Amino acid sequence: MLAVLKKELKTYLVTPIGYIFIGVFLLIFSLFFYITIIMPRAVNFEYLFLNGATILTFVVPVITMKMFSEERKSGTEQLLLTSPRSIVSIVLGKFFAGAIIIAITEVFTLMYFFILKYFGHPSLQVAISTLAGFFLLSLAYLSLGMFVSSITENQIVAFVVTVGAFLAMWFLPDALPIFEVFSLIYKFQNFSIGIVSLSEIITFVSFILLFVLLTIIVLQRRKSGK
Amino acid sequence: MLQVKNVTKKYGNFYAVRNINFEVNDGEIVGFLGRNGAGKTTTMNMITGFIDPTEGEIIVNGYNVETKPRKVKKEIGYMPEGTPLYYDLTVKEFITYMAELKLIPKKDRKAAIEKVIESTGLKIVENSLTRNLSRGYKQRVSLAGAIVGDPKILILDEPTVGLDPKQVIEIRELIKSFGKNHTVFISSHILSEIRQICDKVIIIDKGEIISVDTPENLENKTTDTNVLKIVVDDLNNKFTSLKDEIPEIKEIKFVKENEEDKTKEYIVEATSNKDIRKDIFSSCAKNNVTILEMKKHEASLEEAFIKIVEDRPEYSKKEIEKIQYEKELDELREEEKYKKEEKENRKQAKKEEKARKKAEKEAKEEKKEEKEEIKEETKEETQEEDFPISCGPATKEEAKEEMKEEKKKEKKKKESENKGGEK
Repeated sequence: MLAVLKKELKTYLVTPIGYIFIGVFLLIFSLFFYITIIMPRAVNFEYLFLNGATILTFVVPVITMKMFSEERKSGTEQLLLTSPRSIVSIVLGKFFAGAIIIAITEVFTLMYFFILKYFGHPSLQVAISTLAGFFLLSLAYLSLGMFVSSITENQIVAFVVTVGAFLAMWFLPDALPIFEVFSLIYKFQNFSIGIVSLSEIITFVSFILLFVLLTIIVLQRRKSGK
Repeated sequence: MLQVKNVTKKYGNFYAVRNINFEVNDGEIVGFLGRNGAGKTTTMNMITGFIDPTEGEIIVNGYNVETKPRKVKKEIGYMPEGTPLYYDLTVKEFITYMAELKLIPKKDRKAAIEKVIESTGLKIVENSLTRNLSRGYKQRVSLAGAIVGDPKILILDEPTVGLDPKQVIEIRELIKSFGKNHTVFISSHILSEIRQICDKVIIIDKGEIISVDTPENLENKTTDTNVLKIVVDDLNNKFTSLKDEIPEIKEIKFVKENEEDKTKEYIVEATSNKDIRKDIFSSCAKNNVTILEMKKHEASLEEAFIKIVEDRPEYSKKEIEKIQYEKELDELREEEKYKKEEKENRKQAKKEEKARKKAEKEAKEEKKEEKEEIKEETKEETQEEDFPISCGPATKEEAKEEMKEEKKKEKKKKESENKGGEK
């Protein structure tokens, strides 16, 4: 797993993809920081992330779109799958590399907390639970994006389908309340008001596990030619 | 040792590879020949564990690819077709990544990488991005990735495709040097290369192995023993008259005339397998024809390959019978399936019809009941209104009977009146 993780991280940091992800993310976050905090003179760190959660819809697919589709298209998938590494370790390696890029981005967002702390007294507890919820939400999106990338060899298709899935998860519950279960953004909202419930953590973790598992199954089935 | 036993790979109804069997012994360099789409890459992908066979088993140094994939993959170095590389990595980074993927222990890794870079001549470009390399270097990098860690078996899928002649020679030399101590299984379109490198050749066509032999034997098998190539100095054009002098000569074909020295080249075909070289020699001497060159016409591996593949009957009798039997079986199965489906459909249709009829009946009955209830209610209401104390018939039947009796009475009255009138 470590070999794949290291190589993936290297690729993110050598190519523009990692920087596009971090840069676009922080740029839009800064805009939200100005609009939601500086303009109304608020000191609520969580406001930033409530709006920021929508950015994930368009930014996470940037790092997930090439995870497997590019390997498949260029043929390097053969190098991976004919190596003694297991499919599980390959999938986890790629997943955790994406998770690290997201974590790095979140570390950068701490600067907004310190800016707020300089001017006022934002709640540390709420800030921590917001960051934890945001990280879980990002990982859930990452796992879904990775799964989509494993079923197509076209990066653009992977990007569009992933964005579409995220938008559906975002807006479908408004139209049809039945789909409220799939709305991870709503579940994240509880974290942003300082409430960390076990059921929500379980929902996020099971969502992540489901799509990681589905990715493994897709690769396994392709190997057996089914 | 690599053993492929009764391996079949099916995609839907299409057989990419059908029941193939062959062995590659330790230290052998074996060529894998076949036309495009013959099943070479599929076979190699199955050996390397990239895809699983539908049937059969592949044993690599005693380990089954399907049950012990990790152990098998450790024994194999694979260079896939089209030299897939990570273009964002440098040559050294790529080889390092391959070494890590192959689970080479950290303490040996650095030495293994250096050794491979040296042996493949990549030292000059080790810090260049693989995307910026020429095709020849890319092939080398791919080969380096395959041989890093010194795997016991090297599998190369068309390693020289798209290279210029000089690069072909370089890669060939590399493979040759590696083949001294390892087992190499190589597929290629360039038969001269296979001829020079390989100890054994396996020919695959339409997913089936059609020949396993040494390159020399393949050439000999397909060489016509009774055909000679002769170059003569024949100013008086007497060579063609040899046909009349030597009865075993079937045909003399003129090939070309060398413009510089006016020598002529002929192909002489004999009717039998008798060696006619002595007869030709003595007849030429008589006719004052000087022989400059005379040799058996040898088929090259290319010719052997084409002959074997093209002369091959589509399928042997047994195979045809087997295919027909399978087809019939499939048809029978499909028929049975179709019949079953039809039966089920009929049953379901009947059920649906029954249910529909039942529903209709129930609806009708309900309507009737409703109507009757309404009628009764209206009657009761009218009766109650007109005759508060009921004095009429209790049921419809009684009413009908009363009506009938009244009609009878009226008839009788009419009849008696008529009778009275007549009287």
